Amino acid sequence: MFQVNADVIAKEEVIPGVFSLTIVSPVISENAKPGQFVHIACNQGGNFILRRPFSIHRIVPGKAFEILFRVVGRGTEALSRVKVYDILDVIGPLGNGFKYSERITSALLVAGGLGLAPLLYLAEELTNEQVKFYPMLGAQTKTKLLRYIDFKRIGKKTYVATDDGSSGHNGTVADLLNRTIHYIRPEIIYACGPEPMLRKVAQTADEFGVKCQVSLETKMACGVGVCLGCACVTRQGYKMVCKDGPVFDARDIIWDKEEIEPTLLGGYRCETAKVSDPG
Amino acid sequence: MKNPVMPASGTFGAGREYSEFIDLNCLGALVVKTVTLRPRDGNAPPRLYEVSSGMLNSIGLQNEGIDHFIEHDLPYLRQFDVPIIINIAGNTLEEYAQLCREIKGVEGISGIELNISCPNIKAGGIAFGASSRLAEQVTAAARYNTDLPLIVKLTPNVYNVSKIAQAVVYGGANAVSLINTLVGMSIDTNTFKPHLGNITGGLSGPAIKPVAVRMVWEVAQTVKVPIIGIGGINSTLDAIEFLLAGATAVAIGTANFVNPRVMIEIIDGIESFLRQRNMSDIRQIIGKVKV
Repeated sequence: MFQVNADVIAKEEVIPGVFSLTIVSPVISENAKPGQFVHIACNQGGNFILRRPFSIHRIVPGKAFEILFRVVGRGTEALSRVKVYDILDVIGPLGNGFKYSERITSALLVAGGLGLAPLLYLAEELTNEQVKFYPMLGAQTKTKLLRYIDFKRIGKKTYVATDDGSSGHNGTVADLLNRTIHYIRPEIIYACGPEPMLRKVAQTADEFGVKCQVSLETKMACGVGVCLGCACVTRQGYKMVCKDGPVFDARDIIWDKEEIEPTLLGGYRCETAKVSDPG
Repeated sequence: MKNPVMPASGTFGAGREYSEFIDLNCLGALVVKTVTLRPRDGNAPPRLYEVSSGMLNSIGLQNEGIDHFIEHDLPYLRQFDVPIIINIAGNTLEEYAQLCREIKGVEGISGIELNISCPNIKAGGIAFGASSRLAEQVTAAARYNTDLPLIVKLTPNVYNVSKIAQAVVYGGANAVSLINTLVGMSIDTNTFKPHLGNITGGLSGPAIKPVAVRMVWEVAQTVKVPIIGIGGINSTLDAIEFLLAGATAVAIGTANFVNPRVMIEIIDGIESFLRQRNMSDIRQIIGKVKV
């Protein structure tokens, strides 16, 4: 990981409220892997302080990287006002990305909304590895379906779902996956999107015995594994989204808060176990 | 100490991650994240939420326990030429004492900071820091079991922080550090639920700085021992404020998350601040607020 002061060399409002920034950093672009993220200081000196994490959306090899984000709060709002040639304080590349190899026979990339951001980078790398893959993109409506052309250009066949039926399947992308997985029969699913969607995708993958990796999103402070603030619950206990993730094996994630072991709710580890264990 | 700047416990882990950004040898001291007797998994997420000019956290002292620290983290830290201060917390008086005994004779620890001010755990923690009687007792228990310099980290969640400071000095503290986080809460107006899994959390960051400066100033009037000033320090001038209020050193917390290089910038900044004013000794500003 590196901390760099990097120039913004391109900015685009892809659709209203969704921006892409291309940021120059040879060292980040050379070391990045799909699924990793960058941690950007969006407004130093303002009334909010923390950096904001963004998946790496695309790479200009050896030169720059691109992020794609929707304005959802103070951080993204400030970042949307950045101008070309402004300098951003960026830490990256961070986290563990998607695991893949050229031996994969077929992959399915399931994106919910802006979850497509890291998946386009993955798609380009899979293309380089000559792995056959199918993009499956979900959006609220046709006009919010982003990067369709880019995926279609390199993917085997691109599936689309929109909540209002304006393009492709009428319904959610998780729903579309459930209906199509039995004939697409991918060896592995890579998914990114809102948590309820990821949860359904994980369920479907599990049902059909398909391996599945999900990229999670949480609020973060440090981004490098120090503050232990971005915990998610896994079958191996708490893991940090920033350092252990953001990509996890879907089977390891515990989605239901009710399933959290009481030992994970403060206190010493195995305190409860010790009480009940006579040995 | 080479300089008066160190990380605040819990914002620097055991140094590994940030060693990729800065040279740890440049720090005045290195305060590690709180270590407890046995491993703790920490609190249920969400564990942090950003608020205006600060953040709330409820990590819950997640750590792998003292044995793991001595076996895995300390050997790593020993390679640096910087005083290592171990921060410890217990559920009971006896646990604080036992932690001190476990550390006895262990090579590479220069001091102990007693965390009697964590707002995010059910037992111990802040309970000790909120009562002068308990604060004195826990300090004395630690004092009895260690010969190392003993720093006690105080909570701002009390009416009279000077009284607590006095109590821990009676108990045998060699220094005090303040402030830990202020207990806070934030609610999601869409879901009507608290933003934190633990409902309440500790507020840190620039928002708490004026409270911290005031408390350092108050404590500096009351006790003679050195004070480590903590609370929302983001820049050189923030650090200078604490020194003027009476702190002999400062610890940087949340700002590390924002800028991993911030401590180095503040170390250099304090030096040039003094140089610009033709001062050769930091003592020329410590406690020199004109009131």
